[in-house]
Amino acid sequence: MAALSSSSLFFSSKTAIPINNLTLIPTSLQRFSLPSSSSSFSSLSSSSSSSSASLFTTHSLKSSRRSSPQGFTVKAEKKNVLIVNTNSGGHAVIGFYFAKELLSAGHAVTIMTVGEESSDKMKKTPFSRFSEIVSGGGKTVWGNPADVAIVVGGETFDVVLDNNGKDLDTVRPVVDWAKSSGVKQFLFISSAGIYKSTEEPPHVEGDAVKADAGHVGVEKYLAETFANWASFRPQYMIGSGNNKDCEEWFFDRIVRDRPVPIPGSGLQLTNISHVRDLSSMLTSAVSNPEAASCNIFNCVSDRAVTLDGMAKLCAAAAGKTVEIVHYDPKAIGVDAKKAFPFRNMHFYAEPRAAKDILGWESKTNLPEDLKERYEEYVKIGRDKKEMKFELDDKILEALKTPVAA
Amino acid sequence: MAKMMMMQQSQPSLSLLTSSLSDFNGAKLNLQVQYKRKVQQPKGALYVSASSEKKILIMGGTRFIGIFLSRFLVKEGHQVTLFTRGKSPIAKQLPGESDQDFADFSSKILHLKGDRKDYDFVKSSLSAEGFDVVYDINGREAEEVEPILDALPKLEQYIYCSSAGVYLKSDILPHCEVDAVDPKSRHKGKLETESLLQSKGVNWTSIRPVYIYGPLNYNPVEEWFFHRLKAGRPIPVPNSGIQISQLGHVKDLATAFLAVLGNEKASREIFNISGEKYVTFDGLARACAKAGGFPEPEIVHYNPKEFDFGKKKAFPFRDQHFFASVEKAKHVLGWKPEFDLVDGLTDSYNLDFGRGTFRKEADFTTDDMILSKKLVLQ
Repeated sequence: MAALSSSSLFFSSKTAIPINNLTLIPTSLQRFSLPSSSSSFSSLSSSSSSSSASLFTTHSLKSSRRSSPQGFTVKAEKKNVLIVNTNSGGHAVIGFYFAKELLSAGHAVTIMTVGEESSDKMKKTPFSRFSEIVSGGGKTVWGNPADVAIVVGGETFDVVLDNNGKDLDTVRPVVDWAKSSGVKQFLFISSAGIYKSTEEPPHVEGDAVKADAGHVGVEKYLAETFANWASFRPQYMIGSGNNKDCEEWFFDRIVRDRPVPIPGSGLQLTNISHVRDLSSMLTSAVSNPEAASCNIFNCVSDRAVTLDGMAKLCAAAAGKTVEIVHYDPKAIGVDAKKAFPFRNMHFYAEPRAAKDILGWESKTNLPEDLKERYEEYVKIGRDKKEMKFELDDKILEALKTPVAA
Repeated sequence: MAKMMMMQQSQPSLSLLTSSLSDFNGAKLNLQVQYKRKVQQPKGALYVSASSEKKILIMGGTRFIGIFLSRFLVKEGHQVTLFTRGKSPIAKQLPGESDQDFADFSSKILHLKGDRKDYDFVKSSLSAEGFDVVYDINGREAEEVEPILDALPKLEQYIYCSSAGVYLKSDILPHCEVDAVDPKSRHKGKLETESLLQSKGVNWTSIRPVYIYGPLNYNPVEEWFFHRLKAGRPIPVPNSGIQISQLGHVKDLATAFLAVLGNEKASREIFNISGEKYVTFDGLARACAKAGGFPEPEIVHYNPKEFDFGKKKAFPFRDQHFFASVEKAKHVLGWKPEFDLVDGLTDSYNLDFGRGTFRKEADFTTDDMILSKKLVLQ
């Protein structure tokens, strides 16, 4: 196993080789001798992977700047990464940012979007900006995940990210193909929505999940099938190229001087992260496969915001004030899911595993990020667009009449 | 004696102070083994607690936090003096504490009797004694620190009990140590004390707890709920009940205070210390019920604006989200809370309220105001 040979290289007494990537040691390096005491070697491999992973990390940090006695230096391993990407919805943008970040880091990337290139769905962002992936050196292909082997033209990959499937039926063909074609690391975009609701927030990795959730089935199958897997559970995202409205919902109302109707108390906490954070967490897992292996990561920024708070931040970003109006969806007879883009409850996770295990840091700064988002909102002319607010009007009307006792 | 205080790097997280905690914890400690995950070692977080005996002064120490902290410190072999006015006994046997342990503690704990507001006395008595470390558990105003620092020019560390109440209210949470503080808050004395410490050359550490709970709590936090649960009364919770707060067990706070002693990583640093999970107001009512073995309570929500409670407090918590991340302490110090909420409340119940002891008599005046209005509306 690659991991064993890498540990042997570390504990070879005479040679010190800077190694950033532990699992993919080119065969050229394997000529260095094993340490004389094989017992120390085996005790290392049987120690918990946390200590060995961190030992490696420490070692590579120290030695990354010097070459071995033979003048041999190992650069960060270039990987061939496949992203299987959804063709719509809030998660679509994750694959876009991840592809670009990997390309900047020198990896090879193929992004396979579900469906057809000619589909109307491809007219929306992020797909309409795929030229950015191509000009960065990435490949874009389209097809059905069940036919992935054909769609990628028989190419083999080191890492696969499935940013598409919500249940095992959809993801299994990709997992099975990945395993049989020698993919070393399988990453999956799951969802923080699978956590069971709790009165003791936040959702933390390891907390109970809804057993019947599709994503849970996938996570289970991955754990059974793949040696090196990781699952990422995101929440809401903002960022240029998003396929689904997030902050725009607030901007639409704020720029038109309309009240913002928020169900419940407005105190509900949620995570709204810049998609850059999600991308950097995924990239971190690709760079640290040993550490990431067999782990679940809440793929969110490290701060939550209240729904009222989000409305206020959006207003501040737009340089305006906001009138927030609270309502009880049931009392009014309105489906909160249709009327409001966020869950009407605390939906709050923290990225503790990513920080503990990957040393990852969140860079989301909502007040600053929303300013950027507002600039783009205006730039594309959405502030001038004709819009109807039927559900809002229904809510506001209902609030004018006194509620029957 | 050198003792590994905190997490072994390659093991599931377990507090290694289990043995000392169970000495005066009647309830069986529920050791929490973390779910299997590999934790990256925070660089250099592994440390050995101060192995040499220190001469330690605790300002206060007879009321709540200090009761537990002083015992830990004495057990660690330090010479511990409590600076108090002497209104409470210096050593009082704790529920669940064995006679042997109590005898040992009370034979070793020392007392320096005085009023900390008498700055001349503070300065002269402290400089006469000389101390290596000061734990300032009951300091409120910055000026109280000056005479202590003046008296002890060779002080190795000034460890201050501040408060998460210094954080500026925010829609973006949790509160982290780097976040904005509120110079106008009720706790501005704590803030000013931290600023003063920062401006001096002394090696200081500041701990910011949130709501502290546990046996002998003099603040009616869990007690408030227990009174109502015992009386079979509904629990009146203001507004939505989804406000999120956070409780930290006093013993976990004490171990955090221990973790910073003689710790380079704590030098000139602030740490939030509380439970790892937060809790909604409604959730807390239910957790208290579980802890005391009560049936699930009836929770009644009300709008506080519709009432004039006068000077009485209708609910023991601020009516807002109020919670802080303890991840810095976990990463930097390797500290981890032992108690989860229900276990901690159970510990408190078993050792205090459940034995018939409490600090404040039940007062249901505000409850009755709320409930009668609710009845009228129905």
